[in-house]
Amino acid sequence: MTLSATGVSIRFGGLVALNNVAVSVSPGEILGLVGPNGAGKTTLFNCLTGVSKPQAGKVQLEGRDISRLSLADRVRLGIGRTFQTPRLDLGSSVADAVMLGFNPRLRQSIVSACLPFSKARRTEDDLSSRARQLIAEFQLTADPDSSAGELSLGHLRLLEVARALASEPRYLLLDEPAAGIDDVDRDLLADAIRNAAARGLGVLLVEHNVGFVAELSHRMVALVSGEVVAEGKPAYVVADPQVVAAYLGVHHVAA
Amino acid sequence: MSNEAKLWTAPAVIVVGFCIVMLLGIAQPSLHTTMFTIGLYALIALPLGLIYGQGGTISMAQGSFAALGAYTSAILCTRFGFSPTLSVIPAVVMPACVAFLIARPILRLPELSLALVTLSLGTVVAVGLQRGGDFTGSFVGLSGAPPLPLVGNHPVWVATTLWAVVLIVVIMYSHFVHSARGRSLNAIRVDRLLAESMGVNVPFDLSIMFAIAAGIAGLAGWFYVHTLGYIAPDSLGAHTSANILFMVVLGGRRAVLGPVLGATFFTFANDFLPGAETHGLFFGTILVLILLLSPDGILSPQAMRVLRRLFSRRDRVSRARLPGTAEVTEASR
Ligand SMILES: Nc1ncnc2c1ncn2[C@@H]1O[C@H](COP(=O)(O)OP(=O)(O)OP(=O)(O)O)[C@@H](O)[C@H]1O
Ligand SMILES: [Mg+2]
Repeated sequence: MTLSATGVSIRFGGLVALNNVAVSVSPGEILGLVGPNGAGKTTLFNCLTGVSKPQAGKVQLEGRDISRLSLADRVRLGIGRTFQTPRLDLGSSVADAVMLGFNPRLRQSIVSACLPFSKARRTEDDLSSRARQLIAEFQLTADPDSSAGELSLGHLRLLEVARALASEPRYLLLDEPAAGIDDVDRDLLADAIRNAAARGLGVLLVEHNVGFVAELSHRMVALVSGEVVAEGKPAYVVADPQVVAAYLGVHHVAA
Repeated sequence: MSNEAKLWTAPAVIVVGFCIVMLLGIAQPSLHTTMFTIGLYALIALPLGLIYGQGGTISMAQGSFAALGAYTSAILCTRFGFSPTLSVIPAVVMPACVAFLIARPILRLPELSLALVTLSLGTVVAVGLQRGGDFTGSFVGLSGAPPLPLVGNHPVWVATTLWAVVLIVVIMYSHFVHSARGRSLNAIRVDRLLAESMGVNVPFDLSIMFAIAAGIAGLAGWFYVHTLGYIAPDSLGAHTSANILFMVVLGGRRAVLGPVLGATFFTFANDFLPGAETHGLFFGTILVLILLLSPDGILSPQAMRVLRRLFSRRDRVSRARLPGTAEVTEASR
């Protein structure tokens, strides 16, 4: 009963982005994934969600091999994600941007979408009010009909989380959701992640703010240069010499 | 705007606009045939607004799909004794199937290549029709297509029937835009990866939309051939496709009514402009001007903002000139 990757390897030209990586996340669990820039965290997300196809290894969802399924199929099976750089139509309204998140669960026919007084019409009002609820919950904006382009980067990240939750995923993959967001929003985000896990979602959380992940996660995995170097309780992983070295190295370079 | 208002504004504009022009047509009967031309272009342009404006997928094949529909119906009626009532089905289905079959490989292409490929599709269709011998009437085309069922050749009834179809398309388009399917299509335009991550089967959805657009163009072709009674290889086709794209881009590709506005503008301009040589120059200049001011055409939020600014400025100036209101205007700044 997990979402798991086993023996996943992927290379881009000569660069080995992931080398024989295994991770798994269970329902209700928050798994923190840390590692320096270029460690392969996003690439691992891409392999789990079907954006990239690994050259070796397989991805399983509750025992079923989903390695060959497309991104769209995997979302419909309940693997939701956010992107490191938010992806959305900045010209649409905030409400419409969140409502897009309901699509993986809807099976709407084109005919129904086109006709007045159809089933699609009746669901539309329902979806709209559910989206507005999510917008209020995440305090994205006071006016859901305003343009998404007016939101701050932090709010765009929260919008992606709200949108991913709208698809009622069983597993939620968050790629640096707390990067560049303020303290109030970070608390909102932490609550949302805890609530999701409490409802039985498996959460995979990539984050550079090690303090933030360590506090939220039940378990952590550290990735360095495409390999898992440490795995276990947050306190243990954070103290791991290789992880410390990798992060110190990053700070060293940055400084 | 309330939800209902969003859905019904465009259809209401169509009904009101149609009634006004048809009433003016009592004094100026040529308006009835003008209305037919506008409706025909609108019917071919509307689905291009859908796939290009919403889906971000350009097509320069709409005119050729209309020709395909027209020829299909004309051949069935003149050679195989079909009635137009029956041949309307193959006139729609034939272009739709062709479009669906070619869609998958070509819709992956970037915009410019897609424009060229769909344009060359028009050339293929034209050459096929010209070389089709007696079957397609080769260079001369086909004549003797029977008039439309029920309404016959009466300009008022023909225009009314055509615009009833345009109205239905506009109603469906308005509803589609405000539906989950509409949001999926918009996501495809913005970012295909986003669309896929929202569960959209991008190649399939685009192919279906491309096919629907072709089918509606085929329906317009059916109206064309059974109203005029004949069709030649250059009646509809590549140049029509180019004009249709002009209408969509000028009128506003993102707005439901953009293509209809573009079709109206194009038809009236065509009627009033003197020599055919000046047409290209005129339309080219207009297009450049509009796109510089508002890249999304006339019916777009940006153009509305420009207009509002223009009008509010004039408003302020005229109010300032009235004695006694100048202070108010000054104070409200
Ligand atoms: N599509 C691609 N083509 C070529 N190289 C890629 C591609 N995607 C990722 N890489 C490379 O793979 C390595 C891992 O990248 P990845 O984005 O997974 O790192 P990350 O851990 O998410 O880093 P960050 O913290 O900066 O987001 C990097 O060296 C990156 O340049
Ligand atoms: Mg990354």
